[in-house]
Amino acid sequence: MTDIDTLPDFNRKKPFDGKKFAGRVVVYTILIVVGLFAVMPLAVILLNSLRFNADILRESFIGWPSRITFENWDVAWGSACINASCTGVKPYFVASMLMVVPATIISTAVGLINGFALTKWKMPFASVVFVCITIGVFLPPQVVLLPWAIALSWLGLSKSLAGLVLVHVIQGTCFTTLFCRNYLINLPNDLIKAARIDGAGFFRTFWKIVVPLSPPIIIVTIIWQFTFIWNEFLFAVTFSSSDFRPITAALMSLNADDTGVSEYGFGSAAVLIAAIPPLVIYFFGGRYFVRGLTQGAVK
Amino acid sequence: MTTLNKTMMKTASAAVLAVCSVGSALAEPKTNMLHQWHSGANAAAINVLGEMYEKAGGQWKQTAIPGHTSNTIARLRADVISGTPPAAVQLKGPEIGEWAKTGLTANLNDLAAKENWEVVVAPELVAVMKPHGEWVAAPMNIHRIDWMWASKSAMDKAGASELPKTWDEFNEIAAKMAAEGVIPVAHGGQDWIDGTLFEVVVQGISTDLFRKAFIELDLDALQGAEMIAAFDQLRKMVGWMDPAFPGRGWEEPLNMMAKGEAGFYFHGDWAIGTMNAAGYTYGEDYLCAGAPMNNGKPGYILNSDSVVFFEQKDPEYIEGQALLASTIMTPEFQKVFNVAKGSIPARMDVELGDEFNPCQQQNIVDLRAAAEAGTVVRSMAHNMAVPEKFRKAMFTVISEFITSDMSSQDAAKKMAEAVINEY
Amino acid sequence: MQSSEYMPEFKSRPKSRSARIAQLVPTAVLLPTMIATGIYIFVFVGWNIYLSLSNSTLLPMYDFAGFDAYTRLWRNPRWTTGVRNLAVFGTLYIILSVFVGVLLAILMDQRVKGENFLRSIFLYPIAISFVVTGTTWQWILNPSTGLEKFFHDLGWTSFEFSLITNRETALYAVVLAAVWHASGFVMVMVLAALRGVDHDVVKAGKIDGAGMFKIYRRIILPSIWPVMISVLIILLQFAIKTFDLVLALTHGGPGISTTFPAIFVYDRLFAAGELAQGAAAAVWLMIGLFVVLLPVITLGWVVRRQKKGSGHD
Repeated sequence: MTDIDTLPDFNRKKPFDGKKFAGRVVVYTILIVVGLFAVMPLAVILLNSLRFNADILRESFIGWPSRITFENWDVAWGSACINASCTGVKPYFVASMLMVVPATIISTAVGLINGFALTKWKMPFASVVFVCITIGVFLPPQVVLLPWAIALSWLGLSKSLAGLVLVHVIQGTCFTTLFCRNYLINLPNDLIKAARIDGAGFFRTFWKIVVPLSPPIIIVTIIWQFTFIWNEFLFAVTFSSSDFRPITAALMSLNADDTGVSEYGFGSAAVLIAAIPPLVIYFFGGRYFVRGLTQGAVK
Repeated sequence: MTTLNKTMMKTASAAVLAVCSVGSALAEPKTNMLHQWHSGANAAAINVLGEMYEKAGGQWKQTAIPGHTSNTIARLRADVISGTPPAAVQLKGPEIGEWAKTGLTANLNDLAAKENWEVVVAPELVAVMKPHGEWVAAPMNIHRIDWMWASKSAMDKAGASELPKTWDEFNEIAAKMAAEGVIPVAHGGQDWIDGTLFEVVVQGISTDLFRKAFIELDLDALQGAEMIAAFDQLRKMVGWMDPAFPGRGWEEPLNMMAKGEAGFYFHGDWAIGTMNAAGYTYGEDYLCAGAPMNNGKPGYILNSDSVVFFEQKDPEYIEGQALLASTIMTPEFQKVFNVAKGSIPARMDVELGDEFNPCQQQNIVDLRAAAEAGTVVRSMAHNMAVPEKFRKAMFTVISEFITSDMSSQDAAKKMAEAVINEY
Repeated sequence: MQSSEYMPEFKSRPKSRSARIAQLVPTAVLLPTMIATGIYIFVFVGWNIYLSLSNSTLLPMYDFAGFDAYTRLWRNPRWTTGVRNLAVFGTLYIILSVFVGVLLAILMDQRVKGENFLRSIFLYPIAISFVVTGTTWQWILNPSTGLEKFFHDLGWTSFEFSLITNRETALYAVVLAAVWHASGFVMVMVLAALRGVDHDVVKAGKIDGAGMFKIYRRIILPSIWPVMISVLIILLQFAIKTFDLVLALTHGGPGISTTFPAIFVYDRLFAAGELAQGAAAAVWLMIGLFVVLLPVITLGWVVRRQKKGSGHD
């Protein structure tokens, strides 16, 4: 699967090619310049997480630490006062995990199987379903907040983990179905046809053919769902109880500008702590971005 | 991993329950207060309430909503709609009356009569706390909005020994500061900061104008000559701001002032909490006084935080509400809470001790003087005077004025138009 | 590539009862989604429309009050400025994010060293919440704390960078921060699609002697159009929902020069307690969205039709 000659490497057999070399230089230059631009805000946050809050308040928001402290990380994790109780982000982090992991897994699985049903099987109203799902993507959270409050109270799920997971699964399914449908529509139909001729049913075809061909889109979907749910604030703060609150409630408390004293040092450390789980996914999920998926499968 | 965490959480919550239920009777007063004081001095202040409440025998819980005030209101609305209104919620100004109209709020008349609230609460607050003749809210504090903070070093550079008392004096000192290379006016770039500055100017021009324009929404006053004069003064002050103010929060300008980069900053007294946290001291780094008043009388723009109670079915929570209201009104709480918050007690019978900052000491003296002179007004910029839609409409004009070269005449006309459009 | 080609044959000859049941499986699988999203979309939106026609203020009331809420908000400068800003911002944001994202994806597809590391670098901004994104860019762009001060301190005192403090340009600061936030995600979506491209097509192009950029432009990018539609939809929904980012970055200022419709909706619904008016603003947003989206959806339809046509030839 891996050693198949793919597209960019057109001149592989030639020993040296000036044009190719120049091309490489251009490629890396652009990547590095854009990379530096992307990294700049991270550098600011990282440096602030190593400074004392009093220094940040007195000196400037951007600057080299005049003295370095690692205490912010410690405090942000375990003892910073957030939302009027000094727990650090730890309980929020745990609560977010408990919410994000099931919501991401369920909505990704549902989205993939929906995408398969919508693209590779003759469905009545497939395009109507697709259009509806697209509308669902656009509903502003402010607009659906109060209807959700009513719906959750009818279901008896007000201010509970299950309620928040439900909200995110239903909203997320619109996104995941959209992603997966638009990826799977490009998969060659011959593969599915071959499986059908072999007598494989819906689920068998899905499991044996579609899932092995979908790692890139699964990763994209997981990235989207995980980071979106992880960073969502309005629902998180409206539909949670004081015993169970997602991490955005903590980040907002540390970073929002209100008539209270802002904790820039802890705030920066907390932002970075909150960014770790998505970053881990980005980094380790990356290995599933394999070249030549379909090629391997066709053979 | 997850099982471990779950176990940990269970153990933790069991421990919390155990602590809370020690020495409790059967019908234990309980509460869960919804508020927006999620961080810093505000959070410390509200935790004092929790401690005192538990000491008084209640079971305390709180839901602190971070971010904008509207997040708290969104949560309140969602809770009310889903049939579980909060036992206690932090609300202020005309909103108290609006919610009382829904008929969902609890009545505190009995407790108020028993504890003599009518007499001890600052008279300016009574009308807000009993909007339709019934007590529905308990006031926690009085914030003063029209504070003028001045940098000691900038004052020295300008050779000024006394803080300005009128806007003319202010303009003179500011011009000197500008000549010395100091930014005369520190300012932030958010509409409520713009609105705060402007209402301070309006009060300084004329208390009558403030009342007519910002409380009664009188269209003639909104576009009258005095309003134009207020915009003229604001225009001068905009000229003294540094060009980088848009987008800034309210803390940066405060730091600019305390560091001596800027001369003056007009902002409410929660600034004291931040200056304490950053280690600035009164007299050395900063000075404070009421903002200039052209008529020579003392002035006062008042803001107050209060707690409203929604009707509950659970007797434990009903009992908890009375206990909470009673705790809020104790002189001890009013003292401890306000030391941290930079404000002063809502009860007028509390003596301020040394634990209060000199500016807070000054605050209560000024309030008494202003009350006598009849110049106390409720803050428009901080939701004490008019419904939110009018406030936002006026903010739009004020912010547009500050960031463009709109003429004072146009601005005054637009103020009136903005208010008409919201009717 | 298209579903209709082989399906009829399968459908027209149901061999047995079990085969007929098997045909129902996909519908059964989709049913929960259809019901849940059906309620989510139609009931919730319907409730919102109902609210917009009522005289609700603090809490929902269900008596009819007419279309007053729909017309009066067009007199409000916060709303009209917001709508204009959304149009300018949305266009620039989508074009720039797609350009940067596709460019990065193509470059990343060139067997670069450290692909995994670079991908994470480009992608991390999407992990940073809008509030933090806005706050951090505010620090960087504000002349008194950010780049301008940095260069002044280095001795370049004539350097001026007032993007964010100028009424005319502050909107572009929002575009900058938003493009920073989203283009990495566009890059991974496009990259995922590139990795799923059928390689026989590419090989055919290569044999024809086409150059690399020609292959991308003529063969690969057109073949991943469904993913490009996902990309457009994602960016469009971000644009429509723009809220936290602006509040943290410019707070809608200077003046009201960077205010957005979603901020207006939220202010009316929650801060001002004007539920009917907020709901009406939201309905206007959805109408506007529909107008923008209609060409995109029709385009998708047309492209599919054409493909189907050519497939049968």
